[in-house]
Amino acid sequence: MAVWSERLAGVRGVLLDISGVLYDFGPGGGTPIPGSVEAVARLKRSHLKVRFCTNESQKSRGELVRLLRRLGFDISEDEVTSPAPATCQVLKERGLRPHLLIHEGLRSEFDEIDMSNPNCVVIADAGEGFSYQNMNKAFQVLMELENPVLISLGKGRYYKETSGLMLDVGPYMKALEYACGVEAEVVGKPSPEFFSAALRAIGVEAHQAIMIGDDIVGDVGGAQRCGMRALQVRTGKFRSVPGWAHLP
Amino acid sequence: MAARRALKAVLVDLNGTLHIEDAAVPGSQEALKRLRSTSVMVRFVTNTTKESKQDLLERLKKLEFDISEDEIFTSLTAARSLVEQKQVRPMLLVDDRALPDFKGIETSDPNAVVIGLAPEHFHYQTLNQAFRLLLDGAPLIAIHKARYYKRKDGLALGPGPFVTALEYATDTKATVVGKPEKTFFLEALRGTGCEPEEAVMIGDDCRDDVGGAQNAGMRGILVKTGKYRAADEEKINPAPYLTCESFPHAVDHILQHLL
Repeated sequence: MAVWSERLAGVRGVLLDISGVLYDFGPGGGTPIPGSVEAVARLKRSHLKVRFCTNESQKSRGELVRLLRRLGFDISEDEVTSPAPATCQVLKERGLRPHLLIHEGLRSEFDEIDMSNPNCVVIADAGEGFSYQNMNKAFQVLMELENPVLISLGKGRYYKETSGLMLDVGPYMKALEYACGVEAEVVGKPSPEFFSAALRAIGVEAHQAIMIGDDIVGDVGGAQRCGMRALQVRTGKFRSVPGWAHLP
Repeated sequence: MAARRALKAVLVDLNGTLHIEDAAVPGSQEALKRLRSTSVMVRFVTNTTKESKQDLLERLKKLEFDISEDEIFTSLTAARSLVEQKQVRPMLLVDDRALPDFKGIETSDPNAVVIGLAPEHFHYQTLNQAFRLLLDGAPLIAIHKARYYKRKDGLALGPGPFVTALEYATDTKATVVGKPEKTFFLEALRGTGCEPEEAVMIGDDCRDDVGGAQNAGMRGILVKTGKYRAADEEKINPAPYLTCESFPHAVDHILQHLL
């Protein structure tokens, strides 16, 4: 195992995924993954810079942090990079007025955004909000636009709740892409801009950072493409599928 | 084309070709009789996701077409025969009106997913259920993959987007059973003892009817009724074997040139 010290040489910062790594979402908020509360505390006591980098899009950053604190984690809002605030910045910069297909819990993040006469659709993990009617409404808004813009908060395939695996935003994003013949712009992992923003926040270069996540594509693949190292945990959505082990 | 064999079977699309909604294409009943007075076999083939064979048959009877149930082959029939072939127990994400076509199929403890157009079932929990089955290795069978369709209140999502969603989530590909799939046309001929080269397909959809049939080795005749729009015949390569005004004209051509 001496290799590990070589493989971790020069690491100054750690990006931590939240869902499936620190806790599994479920009734009453969720349950911490055993040992992770203490592990976060140990990381924070070390010389390493820690940043939480999540695609959480069912609840606002504030609500997520309150939940994690209740579960015992040492975490504050300004330590979290999440897609909703990043999306608001994109909307403001480009003068986009969104039709939102999102979870009620996320709505407060868009309080300052003009939503009259929408000229784009923003889709996030809407959970039960992914009804045929709501999907159809988003579809109709896109079809009426001359230049349809679809922004997706992440593009994960699925995640784990305590009751089992659940469809994430990605499949619904693909459904709208297919229906309208458009390609979504993804804000969140694995987009390089998103990882860069997280690294900037702790002043660490990509080659000095390691990403820890349960998603082989969003976390591990995305981080490695940005020049980071990445570590996949066998919790959360991890499934031992033959072939996955051979990914670079 | 010189080596074409004698014509043995004629496949005919329903909506848009024999009738348009609740009105028969003028002269069609008569033309069908003329066709039946010859030795060719006639089959009726259609992409439907919500009308059972029984529904289709009732409408055709009302319009005074002489057609029997075992002559109709639909995308639902195709899905059913695939389910039987694979000996699986499907979770049926189809419109309730389509359920009679799956009568007798075992659906408890499902190990496959059949998906059609079923807005009332396309909800988060149901799709999660389908997703978990697929992740456990259940095959995904799609009636067809239409992107959207026209409703009285505007455009509405078809089954295609939801099929795509499940494909993406599980990194699998659905088996599509409706037109224009080659297997659909071959299945429609099963039991007739007739090769694709001995069959002709008549329909109003250039890609799904004519293109699909020609891709399966049949001849395709495009009729200018139903959903036909000017220059549709230029949409496929090779071009339709023949483009003509309507079903009766197509029958006349067959009687004069193909028999």
